[in-house]
Amino acid sequence: MGKKEEYLKRLSDGVVEMEEDDVAEACQEYLDAGYPAFDGIMGGLVDGMNRASQLYEEEEYFVTDVLLCSDAMYAGLDILRPHLPDEDGETKKKGVIGVVEGDTHDIGKNLVKIMLETAGFEMTDLGRDVPLQKFVDTAEEKNADMICMSTLMTTTMGGMETVIHMLEEAGLREQVKVLIGGGPISQKYADKIGADGYSANAVEAVKLAKRLLNII
Amino acid sequence: MMTPKERLQLVLEKKHVDRPPCICPGGMMNMVTAGLMDAANVYMPDAHTDARKMADLAKAVYEKDCFENYGIPFCMTVEAEEMGAKVDFGSTVYEPHVVAYVIDTVCSWDKLPRLDCNNGRAKVVLDAIRILREETEGVPIVGNLTGPISTASSIMEPVIFYKELRKKNADAHAYMEFITDQLMAFGRAQIEAGADVIAISDPSGTGEIMGPKYFQEFAVTYLNKLLDGLQKEKMGTIVHICGQMNPVYKEVNQVHSDILSFDSVVPMREAREHLQERILMGNVSTYALEFADPEKVKALTRNCMKNGSNIISPACGLGMKSPLVNVQAILECLKEEA
Repeated sequence: MGKKEEYLKRLSDGVVEMEEDDVAEACQEYLDAGYPAFDGIMGGLVDGMNRASQLYEEEEYFVTDVLLCSDAMYAGLDILRPHLPDEDGETKKKGVIGVVEGDTHDIGKNLVKIMLETAGFEMTDLGRDVPLQKFVDTAEEKNADMICMSTLMTTTMGGMETVIHMLEEAGLREQVKVLIGGGPISQKYADKIGADGYSANAVEAVKLAKRLLNII
Repeated sequence: MMTPKERLQLVLEKKHVDRPPCICPGGMMNMVTAGLMDAANVYMPDAHTDARKMADLAKAVYEKDCFENYGIPFCMTVEAEEMGAKVDFGSTVYEPHVVAYVIDTVCSWDKLPRLDCNNGRAKVVLDAIRILREETEGVPIVGNLTGPISTASSIMEPVIFYKELRKKNADAHAYMEFITDQLMAFGRAQIEAGADVIAISDPSGTGEIMGPKYFQEFAVTYLNKLLDGLQKEKMGTIVHICGQMNPVYKEVNQVHSDILSFDSVVPMREAREHLQERILMGNVSTYALEFADPEKVKALTRNCMKNGSNIISPACGLGMKSPLVNVQAILECLKEEA
């Protein structure tokens, strides 16, 4: 194994092992050794996060584990990102994500955001208890390709349908895909309110987003 | 004629009953709908802060043939608020929720105020229980507590909290001890005021989020500490946990509550197989209760009975727009099947 590959493995393993400090340190050493930031991100950090997602899918890892893995990944990204060449961004698909008004449960939403970012989407996170109009306004402002909404409560799920109507009124419905998820949400509910897709978990959400936006 | 309280008592003693009781505890398991508020002419958010209105709305749940219990409060923010969190009381359709946390790390737990049962909304809840105790009989009064993990993650940012369970393990335990002691004080005061049953909902303490190891180390440990710390002079205890149980059936079976309640992602048949000795409660889909018709609700109710549920209840809190006829269909069906 070459020196570069060793670094990439250390980055990837560091993310899987949730070693935030070591990942940051290794990223700096990797840069100092003159290797390109892009490869470090894709072959190291994102590779590690994908392995963590795989472990999550296999129920070896749970939500808290994935959150810590993502901390390690973001610590590394903070160091490598400033060294990326100026282009990128243009080609990335954009999404707006948030928990609908009235609800503050955002663990699932955070997980979906992390996985979508890992998969190369540019996400704008509106947080939780998000006023419904804000989804539409932000999607318009950012020229987003999709809106992802979640809620854990039956009492607030109606807000998702309202957002879809708001998109229609704003004339944006055709260009923005709507993805929904959360405890009480189902495919049936997605069909009922006219959302483009439903996913039961974060890993499925990435597959769904790729399918809806025709990304191979 | 058997009273609802007698029927529930028999179930708790694992004795034969004519039919399962129909219970919705309150707290996270919201049983108030727009239709019920209209019928009772008592509305949220007033009912969250006024003992008389809280008691009246709780009474309406039984009087309008929805469920065979009284249950209060109607949210899961009382405990966090009394420990300093800022709460938005919502509206007629949105539940109260925390809008500002108190601490930013588990290490700061010793800065938190203790929960004072003689003040604020803790007192409103206790007063409402006393009103129900005085004015009613034969119907179990369910007092609700927000579970230890859910309370702990309402007082600080949940993501930081979950991470610190691992990273600052000893401090996280000290924090959980403190939280559990406050919940215990509130629970004991509820029983003293006249609550027959204590229901603890811990939607943030799930096996899916924490994994078996941390579910055992934090959720089960502090649920049990809380349950064991309540007086013996009560009818029983309910614990409701959200999410899939598959990773954690073994751990869930160690929870010391009399009754276990799950949401609709857990097939009742599967829960019954894994938890053969336990009294199970659940789990009529709240989606069906809001969007289907009474016939569908009845079919689901019969299914729950057939698959081994001892107490029939909604799988989660009811949606505000659930039609009254759908909600009433659960109990109606149980009476037909008796």
